[in-house]
This record gives sequence, C-alpha cells and structure tokens, in this order.
Amino acid sequence: MKNRLKVLRAERDWSQAALAEQLGVSRQTINAIETEKYDPSLPLALKIGRLFGQCVEKIFVDTDGK
Amino acid sequence: MLTPLLHRKRKIAQALEESEGAITSAGEALERTKRIYGIRLLVRGLLWISIYALSRGLLELAIVEQWLRVVIALLPVPFFAWWLWTWMKGVSEMDELERRIELEALAVAFPLAVIFLMTLGLLDVAIALNPGDFSPRHLWAMMPLLYYVGLYRAKRRYQ
Repeated sequence: MKNRLKVLRAERDWSQAALAEQLGVSRQTINAIETEKYDPSLPLALKIGRLFGQCVEKIFVDTDGK
Repeated sequence: MLTPLLHRKRKIAQALEESEGAITSAGEALERTKRIYGIRLLVRGLLWISIYALSRGLLELAIVEQWLRVVIALLPVPFFAWWLWTWMKGVSEMDELERRIELEALAVAFPLAVIFLMTLGLLDVAIALNPGDFSPRHLWAMMPLLYYVGLYRAKRRYQ
C-alpha cells in the first residue's frame, strides 16, 4: 500500500523518532510504513490520520483497489 | 583503469553504509529491549540458567533417592516460568510491528525445530546417533538458536 507519510512528516520537519513518539510506536515501525514494507493496523492508520488532520484515504492509497 | 577503482570505492562506501545501518538497528534493538524489559529479562534469564546449571551439577552427584532427583530435575521450571512471564508481559507492551516480528520469528522457529528433530530422528534410525551427543539434555539449547534465526529474518524483512 502506498502512503504519503514521509511527505507529511517532512512538511512538518519531524524526524521519524519524533513521529514515532507521538504515535506511541517504535521508529522502526515508522520506517517500515514509510518504505511500504508494512501496512499499519486500522487503529494506527486512524491515529496517523488524526495527527496529520487528514482522512486515512488521503494518506494511504490502496494500490490493489480498482 | 579508473572504472574498477571507482567501482571498488562505491562498493566500500556501500558496505560502510550497510554496516552503519546494522549498527544502528542493533543499537535500536538493544534500546527497545531496554525500554520494554529493563534488565528484568536478563536477570531472570540468568537466574533460570544458573538454576539449570545447579540442577545439572546436583544430578551428577551420587544422590540415590529417586524423588529427590525428580525434584532437582524440576527445579528450573518455576524460574523458567518466571522468565517466560516477563517475556510475555514485554510482548504485550510492544507495538504492532514488534509483535508481528516476534510472531514471524516463532513462525520460522517452530517448523525449523520440527524439521531439526525429525531429521535427527531419521538419522538416528539410519546410523544410530550417539545418545550422549544427541539426547534432549543437549538438544534443547538449539531451540533458542532457531528462534534467533527467525528473529533475524523477520527483522531484516521490515528494515
């Protein structure tokens, strides 16, 4: 699944560690999401959406969806 | 003349970058373990292994009472349970990716343990392995190694 997490984070000039702390996850998790090696759970995706003030669909794009 | 040199330089830079990454992730893994468990896991693990070593030592002595030998053999079990409880508590404090990595590590370790024991069983039938070398008293120590193989693989996948 593609996502805009890296872009959104860069816009706010946050480090991966800072974002991880705000979301209550490890830096490795943020890195794995940004590099699209890991798709977050729905609660974490919603938390990310809330933090950036955007809906989940604007951050995460389902590439399998037609 | 210059191209192989440049190629080599690039390879060295790449290797340095990779080793830096490995050090960072090893440091992060250590940091994570410290954050989740403190030194509890290490202390309780060492206690369990020490009690196991003590039991092994005591069983080598000429203790004849059967019941006492069984009690000594069972002595490490509560310490193992204590260590396991600490580990399980730590897993519940991990984030979702860390938990997935643990699960994938065990998903690799368990079938590896099965195939390892199955192969040893077949080899035992084929060539009658020395029971002194291949008894459960030595084989159990292989199981954590298989877990670490799984953990290494799972961690690499999400790096």
